[in-house]
Amino acid sequence: MTDTNQNSPNLNAPSGPSLTYVPWLVGTLLAVTVVAGVIALLGGDNAPPRENRLAPRFDYSLGGWDKIDPELIAYEQMAFYPVEMREARGVAVGLDDTICVVGDRALATFSADGTPLGRIELDDAPRCVAVDRDGTRYVGFKDRVAAFNADGQPKAVWEPLDARTILTSIAVGDGDVFVADAGNRRVLRYDASGKIQNELATGGGRNPAPPLVIPSPHFDVAVGTDGLVRVVNPGSHRITFFTPEGLYESPLTWGEPGMQIERFCGCCNPVAIALLGDNRVVTAEKGVPRVKVYSADGRFECVVASPEALGATDVTMGETRPEFKLLTVDLAIDRDGRILVLDPSARCVRVFTKKE
Amino acid sequence: MAKQPGKIDRREFVENGLRVVGALGLTGAAAFLAGRVGAADDMVWQIDPHKCVACGNCATHCVLDKSAVVCKHAYKMCGYCDLCTGYFEPEAATLTTGAENQLCPTGAIIRKFIEEPYYEYSIDEPLCIGCGKCVKGCTAFGNGSLYLQIDHDRCKNCNECAIAIACPSEAISRVPAATPYLPKDRDLTS
Repeated sequence: MTDTNQNSPNLNAPSGPSLTYVPWLVGTLLAVTVVAGVIALLGGDNAPPRENRLAPRFDYSLGGWDKIDPELIAYEQMAFYPVEMREARGVAVGLDDTICVVGDRALATFSADGTPLGRIELDDAPRCVAVDRDGTRYVGFKDRVAAFNADGQPKAVWEPLDARTILTSIAVGDGDVFVADAGNRRVLRYDASGKIQNELATGGGRNPAPPLVIPSPHFDVAVGTDGLVRVVNPGSHRITFFTPEGLYESPLTWGEPGMQIERFCGCCNPVAIALLGDNRVVTAEKGVPRVKVYSADGRFECVVASPEALGATDVTMGETRPEFKLLTVDLAIDRDGRILVLDPSARCVRVFTKKE
Repeated sequence: MAKQPGKIDRREFVENGLRVVGALGLTGAAAFLAGRVGAADDMVWQIDPHKCVACGNCATHCVLDKSAVVCKHAYKMCGYCDLCTGYFEPEAATLTTGAENQLCPTGAIIRKFIEEPYYEYSIDEPLCIGCGKCVKGCTAFGNGSLYLQIDHDRCKNCNECAIAIACPSEAISRVPAATPYLPKDRDLTS
């Protein structure tokens, strides 16, 4: 007998609307799966780096010490002279305001307005340069000094020093040439013919200077109009004074470590100094790159260039890869009191003048 | 048909040929597999310190609870500074070993007086988690003698290294197991 009751429900028969949705559901799930797979395949290794999940105390921070009060900045950049060198190392200015720059394997000269005047190719990598009153250019290599006349003709190559020698700076005094040797932690006093007269800052004598601490090959020397030789002790963050004969003038020594603007930051600073006409000292630091002016007796006066003005950012200051780190600058001052900052990272000489 | 003495018939020729081909195939397959296994075993993961950005990912992305990455010290590069920027906070109150002055959050750097004014710094590796904070401080101001390396006493040498995937500067790659470390002062040593 057949049940003919049309109203009784057939429990085995699927409902009409469910049958309609199943293909859509399956299709949607398939589409989502395919899209997710494509994203995983394309995005996998190329996905942006994930942030570390460390607490903030694990982040390195300069704590805002790299920010400089604009009120302290008394200089402004008025010119920018490109230097065609992959790695510029040193800058100096002659009495005729000719700018000399050494780097790569060359000595390049520029007029005061940045016009290239000439270029001498050298047989080794120079590290520092100085110009004498008669226009003689002294170029320091790793272990020796070469002299060129004002026309760029070779005059002499002085006797090479020992294997430990790393020459980092040259300064010209009254008939003397002072050469900083970071490798042996000393300053050598030469006469103009290249004969060694005596050594400075080696710690000997009746009033020995504190030992030079030079953690990295940044060791500068300068001679003032008073005849005294300023020798940077970078590991001690101090500027020390010596007579040309090597007598340590301890009362004149100044400089303190610290991140504050009036101090020298990091583990070895300043990396370069230059003297204004009245023996005020211009200093350059690395780590937090900044150029500042101090009085002759070491009182902080003003800022010449902030880290920002030298192209430093939070990224570059925290950079660990050598090819991306900012290179250390060198300093020179011309007759008009313009401060020339050799910026190897920007491959230029930045010229700073006092603000109006 | 009778077989002529000294001659091989077609069946023997085919059988011998198959034997030679089979032997050659087996030898080749064995050599290939041996080469593959040897190649995998002879390579290990390592950080190129010249590419590393000390981002901190190594500390948290290693599959081990404590990362296999630790700080190493290139003593030949170190300045042995009193004011070590890899050891001290940028503006430490005093240059002493007080915890408040130390940059390392886990106190994993040991400072030892050598002679005035020099100090030696070494890594207490069980305490180091490879965060790279000291590496940043050392390279920002100093010679960059502190750097990160994968410690192969602990590394599991995973087929797919989790920190290599997380590394934003692609500083981690496989290197020969015979020279498993990339010391930063190797240029100075050589």
